[in-house]
Amino acid sequence: MSEAIPTIAEAARLIAAKQLSPVELTRACLARVHALDRELHAFVRLTEERALADARSAERAIMAGGPSGPLHGIPIGLKDIVDTKGITTTCQSRFLQDNVPDGDAACAEKLAVAGTVLIGKTTTHEFADGGPSFDLPAPPARNPWNTEHFTAGSSSGTGAAVAAGLILGGIGTDTGGSIRGPAALCGIAGIKPTYGLVSRAGVAPAAYSLDHIGPMAWTAEDCALMLQALAGHDSRDPASAAPPIPNYTALLGTGVRGLRIGVIHHFHETDHPVSDGTRRGIDAALVTFRDLGAELREVQLSPLQDWAACGSLISITERAAAYEEWSRTRLGEFSERLSSRLMLGALVSGVDYVQAVRRRRELRAELQQAMAGLDLVLTATQPAEAAKIDEVPKWDMFDKPGFTMPFNVAGYPAISICAGFGTGGLPVAIQLVGKPFQEPTLFRVADAFEKATTFRSRRPALVAA
Amino acid sequence: MEINDAALEYLLARAGLSLTEEQKAELKNVHAAIAAMAQRVRKPRGRMAEPAHAYGFAEEDLA
Repeated sequence: MSEAIPTIAEAARLIAAKQLSPVELTRACLARVHALDRELHAFVRLTEERALADARSAERAIMAGGPSGPLHGIPIGLKDIVDTKGITTTCQSRFLQDNVPDGDAACAEKLAVAGTVLIGKTTTHEFADGGPSFDLPAPPARNPWNTEHFTAGSSSGTGAAVAAGLILGGIGTDTGGSIRGPAALCGIAGIKPTYGLVSRAGVAPAAYSLDHIGPMAWTAEDCALMLQALAGHDSRDPASAAPPIPNYTALLGTGVRGLRIGVIHHFHETDHPVSDGTRRGIDAALVTFRDLGAELREVQLSPLQDWAACGSLISITERAAAYEEWSRTRLGEFSERLSSRLMLGALVSGVDYVQAVRRRRELRAELQQAMAGLDLVLTATQPAEAAKIDEVPKWDMFDKPGFTMPFNVAGYPAISICAGFGTGGLPVAIQLVGKPFQEPTLFRVADAFEKATTFRSRRPALVAA
Repeated sequence: MEINDAALEYLLARAGLSLTEEQKAELKNVHAAIAAMAQRVRKPRGRMAEPAHAYGFAEEDLA
């Protein structure tokens, strides 16, 4: 069964050569959904009729004139905080069980224009924060590598669905690591693009100044293909940037020889020591990059705890502001975990928030200086393999600073890719961080790593069963 | 740093939150961690250090 799951790039080539039917590809994804999703809970809503209609429409167009691009006829999923016209968008919350948007979010619209086939809306933590929660209308997603384990969040359904081949790619959102965390624990690729590169219009906010939208897929190349469709200025998003949009696959296959990679050892060795499996994955990745001809350099930044404090205070405050009205009047209707997060807003003063935002400018300048002579930096994505889903601590944000938040604070692009397998065969990952709008370099390096290793040839056993 | 009941009640009233006793106890437990974060972002940076989010005009404003 795993051999039957192509990457987006492979499927696009086969579709263009008329050797793969979008309808057959969609049916294969739906068959896996029906076989596996009762266990995975990757979807909160299937859009099967629309998917088949989209696939038939794509097939007719392709047969008549060829594909409009590499995403034409490709089955995808959208995180359920992404507005979809005429399709219920619940944000996994009791508040929005009957919410049917009258328009598509910008990212949904762009993927539709690119010809993708929408399989359904994927599971998220409520309003993209605070899970896993077992007290919501829909259960949390489970990890395809071992369904007793967590996917990380909050783009948990997209991560699980891609890993299990229920979709070939999907949309995640990332406020402190919600794309890269599930990508890491589900053994796939996921990129948080530069802040402002992908429009946030029509996506429920978690924390306005930290929120990013981005693709998740089996490979870095697939993420590049998706980002090509997603990137670009949108006046509906006040933070939208207007840089030139490059060809995100242009540098694939050019290798990493001569590139300078900074390694932030203190993040994963002293600030937040990682598991043995994760440490082995990082060390092996460094050897791989050195063997491929990259130059490795040591990078020293402020402690991870400084980045986490800055990001957490901003995140807590902006989220509390976004959901203040419901928090004041209907707090008990949120999940227990999200209501606890929302309460924290009462403990952060306005001055605390501004001091955090002043610290943010300093930290971003620090990263800019540290990367002046480098092409990218490398660090961990997650501290360990996926924990059991019923053993995820509620408050680990306070004593275990995350590896992903620093790059939400800085707004720099960051991709997580699979770097092997640790305890129990669960995936481990590395995180590569580029300079603003230098996503092509990230894809170049991530793609070179994936092609130099064998991790992309292995799917979860449940898929192969 | 501990927070006493009166201070917590004031903060909750200002935030407009009505919490159960259990929720209040949880907030008291995590208050020290939040206070530590607030302390950590404070540096001797002087009054001229700007925040990261500075207000600017968009193209639409200038049209």
